[in-house]
Amino acid sequence: MKTEPASRLERLLSQGRFAVTAECGPPRGANGEVIRRKGALLKGAVDAVNVTDNQTAIVRMSSIAAAKHLLDSGIEPVMQMVTRDRNRIALQSDILGAYALGIRNILCLSGDHQCFGSQPDALNVFDIDSMNLIRTVRTMKEDGTDMSGHPLDEPPNMFIGAAANPFADPFEYRVLRLAKKIDAGADFIQTQCIYNLERFKKWMEMAAGEGLTEKVHILAGVTPLKSAGMAKYMARNVAGMDIPEAILNRMAGVPKENAAGEGIAICLETIAALREMPGVHGIHIMAIEWEEQVRPIVEQAGLLPRP
Amino acid sequence: MIVGEQKPIKEILKMTAPHHKLLVLGCGTCVETCFAGGEDEVAALASLLRLASRKDGRSLHIEEFTVERQCEDAFIAEAAEAVARNEAVLSLACGAGVQAVARRFPRFRVLPGVNTTFIGVLEHRGVFTEECSGCGDCQLAMFGGVCPFSRCAKKLLNGPCGGSRNGKCEVNADTDCAWHLIIERLTALGRLNELRTYVPPKNWQPSLSGGPRRLIREDHIL
Amino acid sequence: MSRTFRLFIFYCTRAFENEAEFAEFPTAADPALEIHAVPMACSSMVKDLFLLKALEAGADAVTVWVCPEGACRHGEGNLRARKRVQRVQSLLDEIELDGRRLTFFHLAPGDRSSVMEILREISGALVRMGKNPAGIRKDRLEKTGSPQQNILKKPKTASKPNLDKGEPIHDRR
Repeated sequence: MKTEPASRLERLLSQGRFAVTAECGPPRGANGEVIRRKGALLKGAVDAVNVTDNQTAIVRMSSIAAAKHLLDSGIEPVMQMVTRDRNRIALQSDILGAYALGIRNILCLSGDHQCFGSQPDALNVFDIDSMNLIRTVRTMKEDGTDMSGHPLDEPPNMFIGAAANPFADPFEYRVLRLAKKIDAGADFIQTQCIYNLERFKKWMEMAAGEGLTEKVHILAGVTPLKSAGMAKYMARNVAGMDIPEAILNRMAGVPKENAAGEGIAICLETIAALREMPGVHGIHIMAIEWEEQVRPIVEQAGLLPRP
Repeated sequence: MIVGEQKPIKEILKMTAPHHKLLVLGCGTCVETCFAGGEDEVAALASLLRLASRKDGRSLHIEEFTVERQCEDAFIAEAAEAVARNEAVLSLACGAGVQAVARRFPRFRVLPGVNTTFIGVLEHRGVFTEECSGCGDCQLAMFGGVCPFSRCAKKLLNGPCGGSRNGKCEVNADTDCAWHLIIERLTALGRLNELRTYVPPKNWQPSLSGGPRRLIREDHIL
Repeated sequence: MSRTFRLFIFYCTRAFENEAEFAEFPTAADPALEIHAVPMACSSMVKDLFLLKALEAGADAVTVWVCPEGACRHGEGNLRARKRVQRVQSLLDEIELDGRRLTFFHLAPGDRSSVMEILREISGALVRMGKNPAGIRKDRLEKTGSPQQNILKKPKTASKPNLDKGEPIHDRR
């Protein structure tokens, strides 16, 4: 039975504080220094940092190892775990190992299909799905057993996260899925990055209508746009991404050298709006390969210093 | 039915290159229906192989023969004389048929001329789609008659993922998102709330993960 | 020196009516075309096997003549024919026999000038491509009976059947 908060992130959220998380991707190599450098940019600016797990199916340093590097630098990691590459034996093993290394936050995902990555010829595992993974971590934490029912010497008390995409279709079904993830054991949710505030607000209202915002901490995702090209690319090619015309026009309407500034301005406006929305308990800033912007954004959003 | 596609001709030529007397053996069941290895395909392939070998000045004698199915020994046996007259057999059956022929004629090299792909149906003229992966534990009742193991690229039991776009899978814009179909189907049946129920991890033992499978019907064995 | 190329024409009888028109094509010209014409009730009757067999029988080029688009009396016969021709063209390219030996044309009945133009175009292409390296080395095919029977008939050889020539043995089950 869980008694005390598993992590700093959980403690802050259970105290009703507005949380800030960011993301960083491990390197496509064996050099731990790369992740430490990224961590240094984020330290003190956010409450926890997500470490991705072979994101987009591209082989990178493992999230468990990268998370440990961050931990050693004094940063709290959120270890992401996808079910694409490992079966239930390996996944459970890694959960136990991560806990033993001091990792206390886990985000359970299915993962991008390997056709997008560096090894499209690999065997696709998907032994269990993200819902099963959430339930597995909860069972380990609350019942103290693994999936086979074997008692664990020390139940891994992890703060369990799941992803939600308010913009994927079918729209009506998304709240049902959120409810299912909460039932399975999700303690917090990080959403896909938001540009369409109207649609996100509707989703939040539907979730609140089901009482879900009382049961789970929702962290709204934001990504600052670097250029008009990036905005167009994301709108067209990334599934489950909703970028309204107004935003695309704003990005296209400024001279190239001012595009990044405009992107950050839009990001700050979005954050300000999200802070006003009931049920939103924090933000998750995904500034991939632009981590140096996270601190300025958090600062300009008036969210520094972190508690 | 089992669906397959004839191998690229270059690959077949390379595989059959060491042999000068070749039997092209067709199958009149599944592979005939998907235009990969029936009698007509045997004739056309034999003609193409002759043209290719003559062009290169290579001697290649081809015999053509088709049996009802290559997955039953009684039918394979009918090809025995034809096999004996040749050095090697290019079987256009599915992988099961090729192996059955090889088992029956172990002193002859049996080569596969077809890439066997999936268990599927004819969706419409000229289009075959994968429907079943033979998991050994059919749960179609739970999913409105749409299989998430075979038709969801991530085998999700509690789908969908966030990657579908306009009802199509993130992997291939021509492929329907299976979970979209499941939701549509269950909605039409008035059973969408059933998806609220958590589906636990699948037991893969009845499927290929448990090793190659056998079905024994004692009531048919004397 | 006068060169002669062997051409097989598979034609829909609605697209092209009178075989006698071929007689008008100057056979004394260089190159000359030895033409074997196979009429069909609809171009959809052309099977990949027939096109391949024609090449085996020594055709240096094979051409398929179909009704104009939208004019097939059976609706889609000419579309099917085109699809099959396209497939065989790519197969011929795959075995490096040059898919351009196989051509496909829409023809309206009575359009003799197009017929002449097509035949000239094919002759020209044959001069560039040369003889079919995979055909049987015979000067002329025996012409007995109708052209259809001709194409399906095994070429006569003076001596005993030579297995190296790969004579097909059909055994239907």
